[in-house]
Amino acid sequence: MKTQKSYLLFLVCSLALMSCSKNDDNPVANNITLHFNNTFKNTTIVLGDASSSTATVNTSAEGQVHHFSELKYVISNIRLIKADGSEIPYNINDLDQGATVVDHSKPQTLDYVLSNIPVGEYGQLKFGLGVRPELNTLDEVRFPDFYAAAGANDTQMHWEWGTGYRFTKIEGFYDTDHKEMSVHTGSTVEGTNGEPDTYTQGVDAYRDITLTLPSHAIVGEHAPRITINADFDKLLSGKTNTIILGTGNAKPSTHTAANMVLFVDNLGGNGSSDLSGMFSVGSVEN
Amino acid sequence: MERVLLFLSGLLLLLSCNREKVIEPIPYDNPEIPLNIPDGFPSLNAFVGENKPTKYGVELGEKLFHEKKLSGNNTISCASCHKQSSAFADNNVQAIGIYGRVGLRNTPPLQNLAFMKFFNWDGNILQLEKQPLVPIITHEEMNSSILEVIGKIRDDYEYKDLFKKAFGDENVTADGIYQSIAQYEYTLISANSKYDRIRRNEGDTFTESEARGYQVFQQKCMSCHSTELFTDQRFRNVGFPVNPSTEEAGRARVTGIPADLMSFRVPSLRNAEYTAPYGSFGQFPTLKSVLDYFDNGVLDADNLDPILKDNGNRIPLTEQEKEDIISFIKTLSDSTFVGK
Ligand code: HEC
Ligand code: HEC
Repeated sequence: MKTQKSYLLFLVCSLALMSCSKNDDNPVANNITLHFNNTFKNTTIVLGDASSSTATVNTSAEGQVHHFSELKYVISNIRLIKADGSEIPYNINDLDQGATVVDHSKPQTLDYVLSNIPVGEYGQLKFGLGVRPELNTLDEVRFPDFYAAAGANDTQMHWEWGTGYRFTKIEGFYDTDHKEMSVHTGSTVEGTNGEPDTYTQGVDAYRDITLTLPSHAIVGEHAPRITINADFDKLLSGKTNTIILGTGNAKPSTHTAANMVLFVDNLGGNGSSDLSGMFSVGSVEN
Repeated sequence: MERVLLFLSGLLLLLSCNREKVIEPIPYDNPEIPLNIPDGFPSLNAFVGENKPTKYGVELGEKLFHEKKLSGNNTISCASCHKQSSAFADNNVQAIGIYGRVGLRNTPPLQNLAFMKFFNWDGNILQLEKQPLVPIITHEEMNSSILEVIGKIRDDYEYKDLFKKAFGDENVTADGIYQSIAQYEYTLISANSKYDRIRRNEGDTFTESEARGYQVFQQKCMSCHSTELFTDQRFRNVGFPVNPSTEEAGRARVTGIPADLMSFRVPSLRNAEYTAPYGSFGQFPTLKSVLDYFDNGVLDADNLDPILKDNGNRIPLTEQEKEDIISFIKTLSDSTFVGK
């Protein structure tokens, strides 16, 4: 009995020691901060109402001036790829722990901290703009935190009629007479598009983004910070579509699946030839 | 020592088995409610088979359907908009929900849903169990959330009792709410109108006007308002005045396909007498005004239904024909269904 006790004591002590030393000079894990820098080309966006004199004004490829009063989007399904190619998924099936709403009007939402990332060197980052169809059901019972954050009165990222989340919500003004523009995107898909056995109807607005880091993010003693630029110039002047608001099908207000894909492909890529859309990596600070 | 332990644990195992048997709840007698499928109706939506109505499931669903606690401020139930006396529609132009907020569309009747393949004007819902969440969370309808609803009713004795009887567990769950409401809705079958009784040779006969109306209806309306449900369940643009809201795109709201713009599911005309006003956002106050509109000519569109396009964008009707068609439509009224 006595020997057992002292054995236990020894164990506890050594465990305590081990955990201490872990934190100090030999961590097994650390954080990575994703910093979202929302820009028009190289200028970080300043929001403003119709007649704002401080808002950042952008000019599209087709010469349309525009600025935003509201800018929000959902990031989920984050995966980190080590230099050796192995993939570390970050709570990809748990919206409460692994998804966030980036809201340009709330600076604290521009930094998303990924915690407990295994030490190592990371060369690539993947994430989704929006929510994968199988998780996109407004299931408050399963993900109460994300449901609440996305549905808050000043966030409004629920697409009630589609029982899914809004993936992007952009409000703003265009042309010199400041006509209103409003682009909401989200999925209406039932089943999986491209799989005839399951697919019945709708549009999948989720886009998977792949970004290669200019230099490795090294998780170890330090917690790296990766700046992701989201260039909203691409909304109208994208790699896939050049859009003139107010002509043809490009209605300045898109609140349904109709015409939405034009904008979705510009922001999140078309899923085939373009896997980054408006996103690029600005810097990696280790 | 080991043997004793083994023996003991074996005994325990046995005991626990026994005990389970003793306390196993006697299952409530919760018989399935057979759906009487009216002669000539299309087959059931396949999802009905996965959630067959039962005695207590339907009872629970009916109670929830009339429960105002489903709304944020306890003022609106499903039945506030879906009134039995209006064939489970209402008589507002566009739906009016919590705090008098006006919705995007006109409230459709709830009838014969077990036979429908698509729900809502644009068919965005394919499974009835997935529908109740929409009004519960919609800002203009009930403005609540499913956890808020569960929180309000989970300690209520009657709900616990009904959940126990319907699903074998007194815990109020989201799925139980969705399933029981759908079960109740599956039982809302309307097939006892004068038209039905005539079809079944039960002694009734059409008046002369009704008979003439039926003739014209078969020629000019039946290509879309077909089957015993009086809808072919296809999505068509018939050039009705367009809802100015940017939220509206008709079927294209769901599919994103330009050819579906402002197309709507052909509505059933059963019980239409009780469901005025008409059209996806209540554009028409009366049946007569719908027919006048078809007769005068509808809005043109690239995707206007070919049946109208090939007829100069209209359905020509004489005044006599309109009167007769309306008499016929009234033979589709099921007074027992609306409780009159
Ligand atoms: C504020 C009024 C309002 C309330 C409250 C309301 N509904 Fe509705 N309901 C509507 C409207 C409007 C539609 C059509 C929606 C659309 O097409 O987008 C509809 C459509 C439906 C449909 C589809 C019918 C069809 O023919 O396809 C069902 C089923 C339904 N509601 C059930 C319910 C249930 C169950 C509740 C309560 C949980 C409820 N509704 C609460 C107004 C309401
Ligand atoms: C080409 C297909 C088509 C034909 C032919 C047609 N309808 Fe319809 N009808 C529709 C569609 C689609 C709607 C819903 C359109 C909307 O709301 O935008 C509708 C709506 C209606 C409504 C309103 C119902 C409600 O609940 O709001 C009535 C009444 C109606 N039709 C009667 C008739 C009659 C009577 C005829 C024959 C004279 C006729 N329709 C011919 C497709 C058709």
